[in-house]
Amino acid sequence: MTTAIAISGLVKTYGKQNAVDNLTANIAKGRITGFLGPNGAGKSTALRCLVGLAAPTSGSATIFDKRYRDLDNPLSKVGTVLDSRGFHPALTGKQNLRVVAAAAGIPDSRVDEVLEMVELKDAAGKRMKNYSLGMKQRLALAGAILGDPEILILDEPANGLDPAGIAWLRKFLRKLAEGGRTILVSSHQLAEMQNTVDDVIIINKGKLIASGSMKEVIGDGSLEDAFLALTGGEL
Amino acid sequence: MGALLKSEWRKLIYARAHWGLLIGAILVAGLGTAVTPVILDNPDSGFGLGLDQTQAVDAVYANAISGYFFAIIIGIMLMSGEFRHGTAVATFLTAPKRGTVLATKLAIAAIGGMLVMVIATAAGLAAGWIALSFFPDAASPTNEVFINTLLAAVVSGAILGIVGVALGTLIRNQMLAITGALIYLFVIDPILLALAPDAGKYLPVGLITAMLALDIDAPEFGIDTSAYLPPLTATVVLLGYGAVFAGLAIATSLRRDIE
Ligand SMILES: Nc1ncnc2c1ncn2[C@@H]1O[C@H](COP(=O)(O)OP(=O)(O)O)[C@@H](O)[C@H]1O
Ligand SMILES: [Mg+2]
Repeated sequence: MTTAIAISGLVKTYGKQNAVDNLTANIAKGRITGFLGPNGAGKSTALRCLVGLAAPTSGSATIFDKRYRDLDNPLSKVGTVLDSRGFHPALTGKQNLRVVAAAAGIPDSRVDEVLEMVELKDAAGKRMKNYSLGMKQRLALAGAILGDPEILILDEPANGLDPAGIAWLRKFLRKLAEGGRTILVSSHQLAEMQNTVDDVIIINKGKLIASGSMKEVIGDGSLEDAFLALTGGEL
Repeated sequence: MGALLKSEWRKLIYARAHWGLLIGAILVAGLGTAVTPVILDNPDSGFGLGLDQTQAVDAVYANAISGYFFAIIIGIMLMSGEFRHGTAVATFLTAPKRGTVLATKLAIAAIGGMLVMVIATAAGLAAGWIALSFFPDAASPTNEVFINTLLAAVVSGAILGIVGVALGTLIRNQMLAITGALIYLFVIDPILLALAPDAGKYLPVGLITAMLALDIDAPEFGIDTSAYLPPLTATVVLLGYGAVFAGLAIATSLRRDIE
C-alpha cells in the first residue's frame, strides 16, 4: 500500500478544547476513504489542518510527504471541497471558477469542461447566490477537479443534498475513483457511506476510534452498529 | 505571480460592486467639483475668495480629487470580501503561500485604486471645466493644478488602495473596516488636523491636500496650504504609509487560520 496522505499525532486546540486530539491515520493511494464521525467530532478541523488553512497545534499532516503549502501548484495534485465553499455570491459560477483557474494557471476552456462534467453548463452564467444548495455543491466539486488532481479531499459533500443529489454524487465519486484517484471524503451520515467507500477512519471527540478497510471495521454488521459499539452507544 | 495577478485582476473587474464604487467616485468628484464655483460665486458665502482669482479657480479644480475615499473602500472590499464571502478558502487553497497572495492583492488594489481615482478625477476636472464655463468672469486656472491633481489622484489612489487591503486584513469585518475608515477620514483626521496642525499635516488627508500644491491661504475655505508639507515630501510620506500598512498586512495575514 502506498500512503497518499499521512496524518501523524495531529492536535488542534481551540481554547481548552482539543478539536483534534492526537490523530494518526494513513490514507491509501487509489482508494476511497471515508472520514467518519458525528457532528463536532473534529473532521472539518483535521481537514483544514491538512490543507494548510489552519495551523496544527502540534503534529503534522502531509500529502505525498509534503505539507500542503509546500506543494507546487497544489490544485494540480489535490482538489478540495470544504464546508465553506469559497465562492463569491455576486459572481457567476463560471466567473468564480475562472478566478480560481487563473490563479492556478489553468486555461478557461477547462472551466467550461468541468462545468459540463458537473452538469452546470446551463447555470454557468447565473450568479452563485441564486444557486440551490445542490448546485453550489456541484460548483464546489467542479472547482476541486479543475486541476485534474489525483487526490480529492471532500468535507461532507452530501450535506444538504436531496436523494437525487446524493445518488448523483455517488455516481460522480465512483467515476472519479475509477480513474485511480485517491478520495478522502468526510461524513456524519454513516449509513450513507457504507456502499461508497473502501476504507474508513472513524473519529469521535477528536480522537481516532477505528480505522481500516470497511470489512475490517464493520465485520458482518453495519457501519452504524460498528460506530455505536465503538463509542459505547453515544452518537 | 503572473497567474495570481490575473486572478486578482478578475476579482477586481468581475464584482459589480467595484463598478458601483467607480460610479460613486465619478459622481462625488463630478458633483463636488461642479458645485464649488456656485458656492464661491455666492457673495454671501463669505469665503473671501472670488472666481476672478486664479487661486479660487485652482481650488475648484483641486476638488476633483474628492472621491479619494473610494480608493480605500476598493482595497477594503478586495481583502475583507475574501473573509466575508469565504473566498479566502479557495484563494489560499490555490495559492497557499500567503505572502505572495497578499503582495499580489496589494498590487491589484494599488492599480484598482489608481484607476478609480484617475477616472473619477478626470471626470471631476471635466465637470469643473463645464461648471466654470457658466461663469464668464472666472479667472484662468494654472496648468499646474491639472498636473498636480492628476498626480495626487495616481499616488493617493494607489496608496489608499494598499491601505485598504491592510485594513481589510487587520479588520476582517467588512462593514466595520469601511465604516472605521470613513469615520477616520472624515471625522478623526480633520479634527486632528485642526487641533494639532503640526502633527496633523503628516496624516493622510493633510498629505493628499499637500500633494495638490495649491498656493492659497484661505482657512475659511478649508485649505490652509501654508501649513502643509511640500508636495514631494507629502508624496514620500504617503508612500511610507503605504509601505507600513502593506507590511502590517503581510505580517498579520500570514499567521491566522482561515475559516
Ligand atoms: N474556529 C473554531 N474556534 C473554536 N472552536 C472550533 C472552531 N472550529 C471548530 N471548533 C470546535 O471544534 C470541534 C470540532 O469541530 P469540527 O471540526 O467542525 O467537527 P466536524 O467537522 O466533525 O463536525 C467542535 O467542538 C467545534 O465547536
Ligand atoms: Mg464539519
